[in-house]
Amino acid sequence: MMTLLQSNFALESIEKFFGSMGFTAFFSGMGVGNFIMILIAFFLLYLAIKKEYEPMLMMTIAFGMLLTNLPGAGLFHEELFAGGHVHWADFKDGAGLLDYLYLGVKLGIYPCLIFVGVGAMTDFGPLIANPKSFLLGAAAQIGIFATFIGAYALGFTPEQAGSIGIIGGADGPTAIFLTARLAPELLGPIAVAAYSYMALVPVIQPPIMKLLTTKEEREIKMQQLRPVTKKEKILFPIIIASIISLLLPDAAPLIGCLMLGNLMKECGVVDRLSKTVQNELMNIVVIFLGLTVGATATADTFLKLETIKIIVMGVIAFGVATACGVLFAKLMNLFLKDGSKINPLIGSAGVSAVPMAARVSQKVGQEANPSNFLLMHAMGPNVAGVVGSAVAAGLLLSFLG
Amino acid sequence: MILLQANWDWSQVLWTSLISVVLVFAVLVLLVFIMQAFGKVVTWHRASKPKQTLSLHEEEVAAIMTALKLYKSDLHDKESEVLTILSIKRAYSPWSSKIHGLTQLPDRKF
Repeated sequence: MMTLLQSNFALESIEKFFGSMGFTAFFSGMGVGNFIMILIAFFLLYLAIKKEYEPMLMMTIAFGMLLTNLPGAGLFHEELFAGGHVHWADFKDGAGLLDYLYLGVKLGIYPCLIFVGVGAMTDFGPLIANPKSFLLGAAAQIGIFATFIGAYALGFTPEQAGSIGIIGGADGPTAIFLTARLAPELLGPIAVAAYSYMALVPVIQPPIMKLLTTKEEREIKMQQLRPVTKKEKILFPIIIASIISLLLPDAAPLIGCLMLGNLMKECGVVDRLSKTVQNELMNIVVIFLGLTVGATATADTFLKLETIKIIVMGVIAFGVATACGVLFAKLMNLFLKDGSKINPLIGSAGVSAVPMAARVSQKVGQEANPSNFLLMHAMGPNVAGVVGSAVAAGLLLSFLG
Repeated sequence: MILLQANWDWSQVLWTSLISVVLVFAVLVLLVFIMQAFGKVVTWHRASKPKQTLSLHEEEVAAIMTALKLYKSDLHDKESEVLTILSIKRAYSPWSSKIHGLTQLPDRKF
């Protein structure tokens, strides 16, 4: 009798163990979506590792996607963040590792910390030398608002449409910052689209740039930029952070952190801090950000028709932003004297994607005229684009948040 | 918050987009003016400063150059003072072999 009871207990235990296995869940109803998501994660890992598409973030996003879709692992619980709020009371009832890490995204901490690092790695010298570059950075942001209208036409809510539009800013941290606040349910698809297109800047931009310019325009050589003093470089972040924060308080976290990082680099007295934010801090935050953003891409939120719409709207946002930058540069040339005209190719660098977009301007410019060096000229609109997209995000947040 | 997101219609979406574009341009144009003015002040300040022209006699230049040359030629490389002789353990080495250290007597064959 005793032996029989014990054997029943053993069977039940084994059955319980098999029931708790993730493999069993694959064969239940909820496993199919997870299985597809795992395949998508494998594909993104392939793109990151083999094709080197923004590998720093794409690899961690894909791995986060893989972890969150493993049935039974329970690393991330969407219900803790349901309705756009953090349900603090439920955290004690078994929140997973990724739930805790995701708080950094939800509370807008990681994008800002990344911006400190970006600021410390950015040279605003070309922008200070040629402040007109700000206009090209502004023009490229038209893509954001054009896509906002397009996404609304496709049936998204205004908050979701704003988050999709920001993909056109070509600025990953800004896109995540805004989406986490306006439409957290779309964070996974938007982050994947934003970083995929940022990696595809050299593929998406050149045809648009060539289509909108003549060979003569692409050959324009620009005047050498004036030298910028150290004092200007130190005062620039202080002035910009103060003015933009006063004008647009919603953009203050992003712009403030960007300029703080830049001040660390330029002041020259906190080299240790500058190196830390450029390397250790940036790398640690990238790991947490990528992993948790990937974790939000669960089967329920990702495997929808909306995701395809977001992917399509994202590429349109990029294209429109590029076109607006180039066309605005051409418009500016109508008012500029001969000799001080700008090469319209640098307009495309107004989408952020630092420094990839500036490199594309340089490459396309050299195809037309091998003796032309546009890189430093393109860096002006490129960093202006970072400021511009943060301003656009602040505006969307103030209108829709 | 300018508009409430409860029920948006097309006119609100279009107005929001238009206002946003205008505001982005307005903010960045303001920055253009500020940075241009700032650049002018810096350039003017630099230009208004009397240029300090350092006029040295040829002999002074020659003396400085000679001093620099002598100083540079007198510099030595700094040794790291780290010994880099590696101890190598071999199973057998004739230098430390005991057999070579012993006096070997000729064999006497009877």
